[in-house]
Amino acid sequence: MSQKALGEFEEIVILIVAILNGDAYSVGIITEIEERLNRNVSLGAIQTVLKRLEKKGLLKSEFGDATNERGGKRKRLYEVTAAGQKILDQTRVQRNSLWEAIPRLSFNLH
Amino acid sequence: MNQKKNKPSRIAMMIFNWYCHPDFREEIEGDLLERFNIYSLKYGYTKANRLFIKEVISLFRPSIVGNIYHLTNTGTMEITNQNKRLITILATALAILLIPLIAMIFTNDVSWKIFDFLVAGVLLIGTGLTLEFILRKIKTLRYRILLGILLFVLLFLIWVELAVGVFGTPFAGS
Repeated sequence: MSQKALGEFEEIVILIVAILNGDAYSVGIITEIEERLNRNVSLGAIQTVLKRLEKKGLLKSEFGDATNERGGKRKRLYEVTAAGQKILDQTRVQRNSLWEAIPRLSFNLH
Repeated sequence: MNQKKNKPSRIAMMIFNWYCHPDFREEIEGDLLERFNIYSLKYGYTKANRLFIKEVISLFRPSIVGNIYHLTNTGTMEITNQNKRLITILATALAILLIPLIAMIFTNDVSWKIFDFLVAGVLLIGTGLTLEFILRKIKTLRYRILLGILLFVLLFLIWVELAVGVFGTPFAGS
């Protein structure tokens, strides 16, 4: 996937990171996706996408707090970067223009 | 017992710690433990542990493993390499012992008795084990070389004394 375009799952992950607003970490993102989209996601899949988006410069991360339920290990908290915000806006504009381009008749074909 | 039930499979965790890139190890290990605790409350220990193992397997992918060179730098791999080296040293000692045995088939000039093989075997394997001990305990290259040379000089002197008796000790050969 090029830096100019987002994959479907990448887009979902960036949107969830934006929704969680500073509290986004892998397990939290998985829980949010399961609750909001009723979709099962593995830890491997989410970690892969998070690392890829960070490499592309669309997300940035820093270590958060360690908790007992995590065996004293710190979370990695993710945030959307300015580039990430820009690409989300572009994607939204493109989607909206496509929706607006559909003739009204298309929905009454059958 | 309860303490064991609060923890996921140790073997799976060891495998994860081996393959995961060191930069990601802390955060993902925490994620795995957090997910395991969630699963434990939801489904009980057995299923939680099964799901934990499944997640460890699903995490084995290039983005998590990263640069494979770190795999050869872990303690596990060091032990494996040390054991390989020990086997090589012992195999070399046995190969050296085979030289007189094979020579005896072709010439009468070499005539070793079982006791000779036994003494040579103890000497060679003893030297090999001492060398392995030096390599495991001494980490400085300079001291390793120094002690290695000392060991081989000692082996050579004992061998010569047993074979032809240079120093005239009670166990000198003729």
